[in-house]
Amino acid sequence: MSAVLRPSAPPQVETPLRRFASQFAESRLALVGLVVFVAIVLAALLAPWLAPQNPYDLAQLDIMDGRLPPGSVGASGMVHWLGTDDQGRDMLSGILYGLRISLMVGAGSALVAALVGASLGMLAAYAGGRTDTLIMRLVDLQLSFPAILAALMILAFLGKGILNVVIALVVVEWAYYARTVRGSALVERRREYIEAAQCLALPTGRIIFRHLLPNVLPPLIVVGTMQVARAIALEATLSFLGLGVPITEPSLGLLIANGYEYMLSGKYWISFYPGIALLLTIVSINLVGDQLRDVINPRLQK
Amino acid sequence: MGECAWTARGCAAAALVLAGFATASGQSLTLGVGAPVTSLDPHYHQLSPNTAVAEMVFGALTQTDAKARIIPDLAESWRAIDETTWEFRLRRGVRFHNGSDFTAEDVAFTLERVPNVPNSPSSYAIYTRPIREVQILDPYTIRFRTAAPYPLMPRDIAQVKMLDRQTHAQATTEQFNAGIMAIGTGPFRVSSHRNGERIEFERFDGYYGTQPHWQRATLRMITNDAARTAALLAGDVDIIDQVPTSDLAKLRTDQRLSVAEVTGLRIIFLSFDHSRVEATPFVTDNDGKPISPNPLKDPRVRRALSLAIDRAAITERIMEGSAIPSAQFLPESGFGYVPTLNPAKADPEAARRLLAEAGFLQGFRITLHGPNDRYPNDSRIIQAVGQMWTRIGVRTTIEAQPWATFISRAARQDLSSFLIGWGTSGEGTNPLRNLVATFDRDKGYGASNRGRYSNPRVDALTDAAMREIDDTKREAIIREATIIAMDDTAIAPLHIQRNAWAMRRGLALDARVDELTRAQDVTPTGPAR
Repeated sequence: MSAVLRPSAPPQVETPLRRFASQFAESRLALVGLVVFVAIVLAALLAPWLAPQNPYDLAQLDIMDGRLPPGSVGASGMVHWLGTDDQGRDMLSGILYGLRISLMVGAGSALVAALVGASLGMLAAYAGGRTDTLIMRLVDLQLSFPAILAALMILAFLGKGILNVVIALVVVEWAYYARTVRGSALVERRREYIEAAQCLALPTGRIIFRHLLPNVLPPLIVVGTMQVARAIALEATLSFLGLGVPITEPSLGLLIANGYEYMLSGKYWISFYPGIALLLTIVSINLVGDQLRDVINPRLQK
Repeated sequence: MGECAWTARGCAAAALVLAGFATASGQSLTLGVGAPVTSLDPHYHQLSPNTAVAEMVFGALTQTDAKARIIPDLAESWRAIDETTWEFRLRRGVRFHNGSDFTAEDVAFTLERVPNVPNSPSSYAIYTRPIREVQILDPYTIRFRTAAPYPLMPRDIAQVKMLDRQTHAQATTEQFNAGIMAIGTGPFRVSSHRNGERIEFERFDGYYGTQPHWQRATLRMITNDAARTAALLAGDVDIIDQVPTSDLAKLRTDQRLSVAEVTGLRIIFLSFDHSRVEATPFVTDNDGKPISPNPLKDPRVRRALSLAIDRAAITERIMEGSAIPSAQFLPESGFGYVPTLNPAKADPEAARRLLAEAGFLQGFRITLHGPNDRYPNDSRIIQAVGQMWTRIGVRTTIEAQPWATFISRAARQDLSSFLIGWGTSGEGTNPLRNLVATFDRDKGYGASNRGRYSNPRVDALTDAAMREIDDTKREAIIREATIIAMDDTAIAPLHIQRNAWAMRRGLALDARVDELTRAQDVTPTGPAR
């Protein structure tokens, strides 16, 4: 649909990055997703400067400001654009800070899980035999177990806290990376360039990291993006169930849980706005991820 | 027969409709309760949900009515023979669910069992310890001799549910929980029990008293407040207790529902770690280092923490009017209520001064614990207290946990400060003995004194009140002990809850001040349509 040749545009040197960018931009939806995602990340990073209140500082909250509807003015003269929750926490500030936690937990757990999963997957593919069997049965075991149940059990054992949530998410997610990486590494391993490297008697570590890894990276990136979204959703679920973050430092899931009891009495904003923020975050990441998959996957290449 | 033949189908249909009607609306009741029952053993764990179930299944010599007054149950009458002897005359013809007769032998057996229940987290022995000797005059007359005068006997014995010597001689708590041994004299028998989830009951047709209306009753434990309200609105349950305060206003106006409310006997308070002389685990200085000696042992620190709390704000904003601020154990109706002890207005300035006086000009850090599924708004209240403490320079971290986890930690003295509640009997020695008397397993005192407060003057007055037969004098002693404990901030009372139930229209509830939710208290109003 979109023209590859634009007569007005000056002739450009086609670098791989530029090609990638133009292919990515072919989907308007993905672009919108990217813009929203970048905006959300910026908002989260700049939360301490953007937020009118530090929602984690108990001294700044006042229960006398509790459950104010959007647009109300609190006792301190602050305008609560998105209302307040039952503790008098400004919802806008709560959401901005909550996004920080959600993104941090999502990205952090996805990164660690990718490291662990990719290493194990690569090891399984390269070593083969018993190592392969052992690792892949572990993966099967992990994948056959509902993620939320596994995470709940781990948190029940470790206790609450952001770090523990990250650990739990890593434990339930590494298997996805391991399986993906092993699949593509198995294919790559039989390619001539690996054989060539082996003939040159290069050390195994070097073959794996310098030759194999770059070639299994694309599927890893795609799975990674999707898993970030999944990790954010899982963290929200855990917090909603009261097992994630401490109640005085709510993430999006806990903010939603706080307002859930007030839904029946018409105080919609306590759950609604954090819900919208969570929805936007996950949808935008998924849109970007979908398009990444289409662009990176050579088999879908036009 | 012949006449009906041509309308056989119609007759059958009518019969089916009637039968369906009877089972659906006339005979079975589903209760949605907010706090889980932890055991079916009536002598294992003193906890209101357990007591409610015990009162459906078992009987005691006496019982309390909806307003916490003593009325007969398995005993028809009682009297004090002299200062240290009580005589109870038992009701005749009472049978256990398995057909066994209830006699004085069973009372003696029960009193032997109560102090010997293994691993009891909150023992009932407090009610049986004063009895030194049991004397059976005949199968239906029994006398209790006590070491000291024991004016509370008729009230305390209501807490001791009667078991059968033949049936329960070897019964373990596990067997009660499995339902096998949950055999009593009460109006319902247990037909199944899924721990923490639901208990099903069937009416016991051999019950000696007024038969409950319901052939079957199901108790569902729905700890999530929103889920409980939703279950009522969806018609999954007929009645719920612990109506979420956030929903009360809306439920009151709902035409399909009715609401029952009464000011209760449950005090919600903060407890402090008095057990450690050296550092307490959840208090540190501003650099995160332990503080020794334990600052919470200093009455000025405790008073400062109590003074910082704006109780009116909590009852108004968090409890939405369904609680009254309190500075003592009992509501105004209670025996031993101190009229001069009113909740102080929050005074952060005075609190800061007290802290400075105690050597904490810069404040300190503390973790306040509490349950998140036990009392109305429990986790919200501790967050609000956290705000107020942080404002006087005591930086507070809040940790809310499910009740089961929380209470085992509190019972082990793992915590430094925590929110907890206590359903009193409405009589002042009950909270004195349980909450602030020095912990003493042999005397059965301080069973729920989880902060391990200990004050010889309070102990002496509690003992004196327990011996005083004259009600006027006894009330004066209770008041004196209460004032001492409160001046010392043994605990920091927050508020007394109003109990609220909501039910589908067409049901009525005899709302109990002790907040027990029992199937026998629910009746249909007028003919169902």
